[in-house]
Amino acid sequence: MMHSIQRIALLLFILALLAAPAAAQDGTTITWSIEGINDVVSLDPAKASDAQGFTVIGLLHAGLVRLNADLLVEPDLAESWSISDDGLTYTFTLREGAAFSDGSPVTAEDVVWSLNHALDPNTGGWTGPYLLSNIAGSDEVVSGEADTLSGVQAVDARTVTITIKQPSAYFLSQLTFGPAKVVSKAAAEASADNLDQASVTSGAFAVQEWNRGQGLVLVPNANYWQPAAQVSRLNIVFNQDSETAYQRFRTGELDIMGGAQNPIPAARVPEVKDSPDFRTTNAFNLRYVAFNNQLAPFDDVRVRQAFAHAVDKVTLADVVLGGTVTAADRILPPGMPGSELPIEPLAFDPDRGKALLAEAGIDPAAFTLTLTYGVEGDNERVVTVLQSMWQENLGITVTLEPLELSTFSARLNDTYQDPANGLQAYYSVWGTIYPDPQYFLSQVLRTGVGNNNPHFSNAEFDALVDEADVIIGDFARRAQLYNQAEQIAVNEVGWLPLFNGQVNVLVRECVQGVAVTGLFSAYVIPDYSALRGCQ
Amino acid sequence: MLRLVLRRLASLPFVIVSVTFVTFIVGYLAPGDPILALMGNQRDPALYERLRDIYGLNRPWHEQYLSYLGGLLRGDFGLSYRFAQRPVLDLIRDGIGVSFALGLAALTLSVAVGVPAGIFAALRQNSAAERGLMALMLGLFAIPSFVLIPILQWANYQVYRAVGSALPAAGWGRPEHWVMPVLVLSAASLGYIARLTRANVLEVMRQDYVRTARAKGLRETRVRAAHILRNAALPIVTVIGPSVAFLVTGAFVVETLFAIPGVGFLSIQAVGQRDYPVIQGTTVLLALAVVAMNLVTDLLYMALDPRIRVDV
Repeated sequence: MMHSIQRIALLLFILALLAAPAAAQDGTTITWSIEGINDVVSLDPAKASDAQGFTVIGLLHAGLVRLNADLLVEPDLAESWSISDDGLTYTFTLREGAAFSDGSPVTAEDVVWSLNHALDPNTGGWTGPYLLSNIAGSDEVVSGEADTLSGVQAVDARTVTITIKQPSAYFLSQLTFGPAKVVSKAAAEASADNLDQASVTSGAFAVQEWNRGQGLVLVPNANYWQPAAQVSRLNIVFNQDSETAYQRFRTGELDIMGGAQNPIPAARVPEVKDSPDFRTTNAFNLRYVAFNNQLAPFDDVRVRQAFAHAVDKVTLADVVLGGTVTAADRILPPGMPGSELPIEPLAFDPDRGKALLAEAGIDPAAFTLTLTYGVEGDNERVVTVLQSMWQENLGITVTLEPLELSTFSARLNDTYQDPANGLQAYYSVWGTIYPDPQYFLSQVLRTGVGNNNPHFSNAEFDALVDEADVIIGDFARRAQLYNQAEQIAVNEVGWLPLFNGQVNVLVRECVQGVAVTGLFSAYVIPDYSALRGCQ
Repeated sequence: MLRLVLRRLASLPFVIVSVTFVTFIVGYLAPGDPILALMGNQRDPALYERLRDIYGLNRPWHEQYLSYLGGLLRGDFGLSYRFAQRPVLDLIRDGIGVSFALGLAALTLSVAVGVPAGIFAALRQNSAAERGLMALMLGLFAIPSFVLIPILQWANYQVYRAVGSALPAAGWGRPEHWVMPVLVLSAASLGYIARLTRANVLEVMRQDYVRTARAKGLRETRVRAAHILRNAALPIVTVIGPSVAFLVTGAFVVETLFAIPGVGFLSIQAVGQRDYPVIQGTTVLLALAVVAMNLVTDLLYMALDPRIRVDV
C-alpha cells in the first residue's frame, strides 16, 4: 500500500519540476495582474463600471485626448483642438492616418457614434451619463427623448465639434476617461459582440484571446499612432484575491500587480518596501466622516466643529493604521492639482471641542451619535477609534452601525433623497476619476449636487466653485478660488477629513514605461513606444 | 431500480421550485441593491431609476419570480446584472466544466489514497506507522483550506527561492496548475475517508463470517478482498455522496485563492455584487448536483448489497 502513496508523491514531484516558466517570445512580454475581480464585465468602454475594467479598456481604446504622466491633458486620437471664445464649443481635429486595429480609419463619425453610445440608455452603463452630462443634448438622449446627441457633430471626416451646456475647466479631463473612448462604428453595427469583446480597438493594444474568468492576451495594435513596438504580448491576469496575486508575483509569474483600490496586502508591505519593485504614491482619495447637515444638532456648525476638534488624526493614521495612510487636514489629497496651496486645518483640540459643544447648548450625557459605515478593509478599526476618541474627548456616546457595502450605499442614497430620515453621520471614502479639484469640491459639496449626501450648503462656497468651474486656461486663478472654497468646507466641516490612502503596487524593476499615479485606475503609460517588458 | 430513477426525476421540479423560490425571496428581501452595487459610490438618482427599469427590478416580486421560472423552463437562466447582461447560462457553462474536473480529481485522489491508507492502518493496527498515518489523516481532516493554502504557498515559495522554479502559485490551464488546488481540495475528504475506512475494516475483521472464512481455509488475500473489503465498502460509499457537496463548498475558497475560473469563484463574486440571476443559477445547479449524487449513491448501495431496497 505504501507503494501507491510513494508513486503519487513521485508524480507530484515530477509535475513540480515541469512547472518551469513559459518559453520566452520574440519581443518582450508583460504579465499584468488585475485584482479584486475574476473577469472584466465587458470591454465596451460604455459598459465598464469599475477601476479594473477601465485599466484594461485604457490599454485597448484611445480617446480624443489622454492624460500624461503629470496628469495633464494631451492629444491622443485628436492631434489638436480649439475652444470657442464662449467656452462652449470644442473643435477637434483627428490625427491624420489614425486607424483602428482592423486598419479602417478613425473618422469623426466614429467619435459621434461612440459618444452617443455612451449616453444611450439601452447601453445600460452609468459612467457615460455621469461623466458626459455636460454635452449639449445629453439629458434628452439619456431620458430617451432624443436618439442622437445634438451637441456632437461630425463636420468632415477628420473634424468633430462638441458643444457643452456650461463652460467647463475640466471637460477635457472628463473626455480622457472610459466612456469617451472611441470605438469603431462599423464593427459595433456589424455585431454587438464586437463591442463587448473589443474585436476592433482604437488604442495601443488589441485582444488576441479572452479566457473567461482568467485573463486576456493582448497584442500591440500596429495601427495606433504610438505603437508599443517593444512589446509582443501583454497578458492580463485576473486575481480575485490580492494575496493570490502577491504569491504569483513573488514566484516570478507576474510583472505588475496592485491598484489604487486593491493595493498589495498591507501585511506584505514591510517585506517588500525595500524591494526595487515596490512603488508607492499618494492615492487621490480621502476617508472622511460626514454629518447630516439637515438633522439637528448637526445643522449647527459648532457641533460639527466640536467633533472635528476631538479627532486625533495623527494617532489614527500613524499608530492605529501603522503608517499605511497619511493623516489628512484638508479635502484635496496631496499631489492633486490645487493641493499645493495651503489650508488652515481645524487642529486637534479637545478643550475647544468641549467649549463649542457647550456653546451650542449640547449636553454630552444626553446625546448619542450613530456612526454608520460599510464593512470593508480597515473600516471597523477606524470607526472604533473614532468612537473612543469622541467618548473620551467630548464625553459623547457613539453607537456604531456596520452595514454590508451595498446596503450602506443604499442608505447613502436614502440620506440624499430624504435627509430627515437619513443617516446621522457616516464614515466613507471618495476617490477621483479625473485629476481636477472640481471632483473633490463642486462635485460633492456644492448645494444640491447628486453626491452631496450630507447636504452641506454654503452660499459663499457655491459661488467660489461655480466661478472656478468655468475658468478655462488660467489654472492658477482656478486653484485660488478652489482653495478659498476648500477652506470654507474645512472650517464648516462639510466633510471631516481623516486620512489619504496610499497606492502600493509592485512593478518589476525591469519593466519600463509604466507610471504609477494616485488616480483610481493607478497606471498611466505616457509613451507606448517606450513600454518594455523584462524579457 | 428504474422506479427509483423515475421517482427521483419526478421530484426534481419540486426541488427546483423550492430552491429557486428560497434563493429568490432571500435575495429580494435582503438589504442592498444590485444597481447601487453596480454604480459604486457615485450615483445620480434619475439614472438609478432608469437602470432599475432596464433590469426589470421595479416590477413586483411575483412578476420577477414567475418570469424567472418561465425562463428556466426554456433553459434560460436570465441575464447577469454585473456582467453587462451576459446570459447566466454562458457564465455557468464556462465554469462548470472546470469545477467538475477539479472536484472529480480531488474525489479520485481522496478515494485512491484514503481507502488504501485506511486499509493499511487497519491491517497494521497499533503499530507506530498506523498511529503516525492516522494522526496525519486527522490533521488533514481538521485543517481548513484557508490555513492549508498559505502553508503550501510558503513551501512553494521556498522551493522557488532555492531552485528558481516552482509550481505556479495560482492560475489555470496547464497541468501543473492542478497540483496545489487538488491537494487542498482533497485534504479534508482524504483524511475522513482514510479514518472511516480504517474503522470499518477493523469492525468487519472482527465479524464471525471473517473468522468462518479463515476457518474454512481460504487464502488471506481472498478473505481480505471478498469478505472484509466488500463489506467495509458500504459505509464508505455512503460518505462519497456527501463528500461531493463538501468538495463543491470547499471549491469556493480554493477557486478564489487559486484564481480558478470555476462556478465557486463565480458564486462568490455574484454574492458580493448582488447578481441575483447568477446566484440563482449556481444554486439550482448545485441542488441538481446533490440530487444526482444521492441517486448515484443509492444505486451503488443496491449494487453492493442486494439486500438493500431504497424506497423514496
